[in-house]
Amino acid sequence: MAGAVGGGRGCVTLHGAQIRDLLDAKHNVLFDCDGVIWNGETAVSGAPEVVTLLKQRGKRVFFVTNNCTRPRENYVQKFSRLGFTDVAEEEIFSSAYCSAAYLRDVARLQGKVYVIGCGGVMKELRDAGVPVVEEEDAEPGASIYNCPLDPDVKAVLVGYDENFTFMKLAKACCYLRNSECLFLATDPDPWHPLRGGRITPGSGSLTAALETASSRKATVIGKPSRFMFECIASQFDLDPARSLMIGDRLETDILFGSNCGLATVLTLTGVSTLEEALAYRDSQEPQQKDCTPDYVVDSVADFLQALEE
Amino acid sequence: MAASKCTRLTGTLSRQLLDSVDSVLFDCDGVIWRGDQAIPGAPEVINSLKKSGKRVFFVTNNSTKTRQMYADKLGKLGFDATADEVFGTAYCSAVYLKNVCKLDGKVYLIGSNAMRQELEDVGIHPLGVGPDPISGVQKDWANVPLDKEVQAVLVGFDEHFSYMKLNRALQYLCNSDCQFVGTNTDTRLPLEGGKAVPGTGCLLRAVETAAQRQAQVVGKPSNFMFECVASQFGLDPERCLMVGDRLDTDIMLGSNCGLKTLLTLTGVSTVAEAEANQKSECPQRQKMVPDFYIDSIADILPALQA
Repeated sequence: MAGAVGGGRGCVTLHGAQIRDLLDAKHNVLFDCDGVIWNGETAVSGAPEVVTLLKQRGKRVFFVTNNCTRPRENYVQKFSRLGFTDVAEEEIFSSAYCSAAYLRDVARLQGKVYVIGCGGVMKELRDAGVPVVEEEDAEPGASIYNCPLDPDVKAVLVGYDENFTFMKLAKACCYLRNSECLFLATDPDPWHPLRGGRITPGSGSLTAALETASSRKATVIGKPSRFMFECIASQFDLDPARSLMIGDRLETDILFGSNCGLATVLTLTGVSTLEEALAYRDSQEPQQKDCTPDYVVDSVADFLQALEE
Repeated sequence: MAASKCTRLTGTLSRQLLDSVDSVLFDCDGVIWRGDQAIPGAPEVINSLKKSGKRVFFVTNNSTKTRQMYADKLGKLGFDATADEVFGTAYCSAVYLKNVCKLDGKVYLIGSNAMRQELEDVGIHPLGVGPDPISGVQKDWANVPLDKEVQAVLVGFDEHFSYMKLNRALQYLCNSDCQFVGTNTDTRLPLEGGKAVPGTGCLLRAVETAAQRQAQVVGKPSNFMFECVASQFGLDPERCLMVGDRLDTDIMLGSNCGLKTLLTLTGVSTVAEAEANQKSECPQRQKMVPDFYIDSIADILPALQA
C-alpha cells in the first residue's frame, strides 16, 4: 500500500472479522516458508489447517521461499512430512527454481553457468536444461593462482554453498571480468536462522564477497526482488491487487510485497519483531517505509478462526 | 581547495621536498616492487635516502608475511632494510589487538601463518589457521564448539577461506562482546607475474555481511598504520613523506595524518584520477589528492645523488 507520507500507516494488528474481510478481498495468498508455516522440521501449529482451508475456500496458495538448498520435489516431500496435504510442486517457488527459470526464460542463456551453490540449485538448473560447469575436485596443478577456465561460461550464479572455498571465489571472479558474463545471486539473505536461535551464514554473505572481488553488482533473483513474483505470474494469472504476501522477514518478504504491489502481513513466528516493524513504519526514509507490513499477526494460526466460520 | 597540489615532482622540487622531511614511508606493491621484481632504480633510491640520513619505513596492507619475511624479501631485491622498519598488517594487527583492543584472551583467526606468528610474538594465542572444510550437517555447524577464551575475531588474507571458517567467525561474532578486526579492505591481492586474486576485502565483506557488524580495520587508510610507526620511532608528521601508488589507501592515509604525499605512477592510480578528485567538491575525494606525483620513484635519484 503505497503513498502514505509522514508517520504511521501500517502494522495494523489483525483480529477475527478483519481477517475475514481481508481474505474475502484476496484471491491469491503467497506464503514464505521458514518462520511462517514451519520452523526447521516443525510445522507452525495450525499452519497445515490454514493452507487446507484457504484452498477449500477457493483461494490459490503459493509458497515463495528464498531458501535455495532444496529442489522443488524435496519441498513437496517436506510439506507432506510436516502434515500439509496436497501441496503441489507447481505451487512452490524457491529461489533455486526461479534462478534456473531466469537463466532459461529471461536471460535465454546460450552457454554454461558457473555455480557457487549446493545440490538444490544444481538440480533445478539441470531440470531446466541449463548447462552447468561441473566442478572437478582435484584438477592437477590447479591453485588459486592459476585455475583453468571454461570458455563456454556465460553466467555466474552464486547462492548458499557449504563447500564455498577461496578457489571458487577466485574462479568466479575471473569469469566476471568479462562484462558480458551475467552475474546472478539466488537471494540476498545475510544469514539464515536455525533451530534454537542460532544462525548460519547465508547466500548474501557469499554474494558480498564476490561483488567486492569483481566490483560488480549481482542481479538478485530472490525476495525482495520482483522476479519471483513475475515468475509465478508468468505461469498463473495473478492480479497484485487481489494478492496477499505473508512473511516473517521485513527486509525480504514485506519489502517484496511492497515492491510487487501486494498487501502484506507480518507474522511473528520467525525472524522480525513488532518493534522492528514499528521502527520501519516511523522512519522518514522511503526505502525503510517500504519494509512496513500492512498488517501483523502473531501466527498464521490466527487465520484459523476466520476460515473455520 | 588546497593551493599547490598534484604537482609533477621535478628536479628542484625534489630537492626541496627531500630537505623538508626526515622520514620517508613507502608502500611496497606497485611502488618499490611488483611481485618478485624490484621497480628499476628503487633499491638505489631507498639506499641513497638512508645514506643521506633519512629514515625509511615500509608500510603495506599485505598480511601474508611477517616483518622478518619482508626484510628477507627486501634484502633479496637489493634494499638495505631491517625487520623493524617494516609495518605490514600481520604485525600491525597483532599490535592493534594487544594495545588498542587490550585483548586478554584468544583470537579466532581467518588468516595466514604469518599472522599467527606475529600474534604469538606479542603473546596472543590464535585459533583457526589452516584448512577447515565443512563436515556434518547444518545443525552441527551452528553448534560448533566455541572456545570461551576467544575475545576477538581477526580477518586477514586466507587462501583456505571456506564456508566453515565464515560460519565459525559468525558464531563468535554473535556475542557482541567479541571484538571484530580486519587487516585491510583491499579488494585485490597482487601476486608475482602481474596476476591478482580476490583480496582480504572480499573475505571481510563476507564476514561483515553474515554477522551484520562492521570490523575495525587496521590497514591503510586507517591512521593506525602511521601511528604504529610514529609511536615506535617518534615521528613528526610534518617531517614525513608518504610515497604510494593508491589514492584511496596511501594518499588518503597521508592526508589524514598530515604527512606530505607523493603518488608514484608505477602501480594502481593515475594522474587523471587524482586530478578528478582535485576538481571534485567532495571532502573525502579531496583527501585523495597527492601533493606531488612522479612516474617512478627512480626519478628521485638524480636529486639524491646531486
